[in-house]
Amino acid sequence: MDQVKFVAEYAAHLMGCGIHTSRVIRNTKRLGDALNFDVNISVFQKSIILTIQKNETQQIFSEVIEIPALPISFEHNSELSGLSWEAVDRKLSFEEIKAKYDTIVSAPRMNQWLVLLLVGLANASFCRLFGGDWLSMLIVCIATFAGFYTRLFLQARKINHYIIFIVSAFIASMLSSTALLFNTTSDIALATSVLYLIPGVPLINGVIDIIEGHTLTGISRLTNAFLLIICIAIGLSFTLFLFTNRLV
Amino acid sequence: MIIFDILSDGLFGAIAAIGFGAISNPPKRAFKFIALLGAIGHACRFCLMTYLHIDIASASLVSGLIIGFGSLWLGKPIYCPTTVIFIPALLPMIPGKFAYNTIFSQIMFLQNINQPDLKAKYMEMFFSNGMVTLTVIFLLAIGATLPMFIFHSRSHSLTRRVYK
Repeated sequence: MDQVKFVAEYAAHLMGCGIHTSRVIRNTKRLGDALNFDVNISVFQKSIILTIQKNETQQIFSEVIEIPALPISFEHNSELSGLSWEAVDRKLSFEEIKAKYDTIVSAPRMNQWLVLLLVGLANASFCRLFGGDWLSMLIVCIATFAGFYTRLFLQARKINHYIIFIVSAFIASMLSSTALLFNTTSDIALATSVLYLIPGVPLINGVIDIIEGHTLTGISRLTNAFLLIICIAIGLSFTLFLFTNRLV
Repeated sequence: MIIFDILSDGLFGAIAAIGFGAISNPPKRAFKFIALLGAIGHACRFCLMTYLHIDIASASLVSGLIIGFGSLWLGKPIYCPTTVIFIPALLPMIPGKFAYNTIFSQIMFLQNINQPDLKAKYMEMFFSNGMVTLTVIFLLAIGATLPMFIFHSRSHSLTRRVYK
């Protein structure tokens, strides 16, 4: 019974940390093979239903598990996919698989300050790619730093994530509107300052899901991504409303 | 001078790809290929648009395809699924300026609703920018995922390690 719960948790964790549906199903079935289970899965937006048959005893278990809202993690994506292959190829026992799973899941994320720095630089070079000058890049870097810090700060306090997106988009664009005071490419600075918030992972995963026929989860991912993009637009429009006369 | 332009475009593309990748916590071994593909993808689109005068949508599709094939090829030595490498590499190519102009023209449209000239101008601006934004994002996604669907058996087993 432990093992059944574990397979369900594995599937829900994969789904929660931003992996497209067909890979979740493939990995979970492969993990089931390693444990000598026959796994059938239906994936919905908020929950997963698994029917698991133990090949030795022919017992059938049914399990419904909620998909947790986890931060996106590519590391979990590659390591947990690797774990399912390893379990099959090396015929690992359940205890070994469980121990490896726990190590992977509890590994620390990247240092937050390093991420902040990298995101600031990334958005500054984005500004450069759109044709901004060095002063705009500096302003965008500082604005992104502040905006992303706000996002992390509010996320740690478990505030509704639509509100987080509106507030951090507003703060980033407001700070980058200081570019209007100088003779610089201020519209490019404003345009790029909020781009670090773009939910790229759900957008791409949504497209992949729809193409592969998992239309339900695909549409729900795209809907979530579009709602977040609308929130970014709302945060940006607060700033634009304040400065419309100076922008035209 | 052309070489310098292309290289600097690639360099900034790489920094952007690393930064946007870092948000999603990729494995550390993936960073070098994320940077490489981000640079190649963006520099390729820059060349197509600047020197061959191809439109932004077709150029994005070509760059998306290059990134997709690259991620399929480079994923194997570091045992990473294609999405882990190509999503951060695609993000620098999001048409941010067009997206911004869409929102800007929407606001200006609403502010000038009583002035027919300005209203028509911003309406036109809203639709043309919005169409470019949507098309480019869609084509980028299609381009990058197409190799994954064509070579599905390879893309399914990228994380499989060899045990002796």
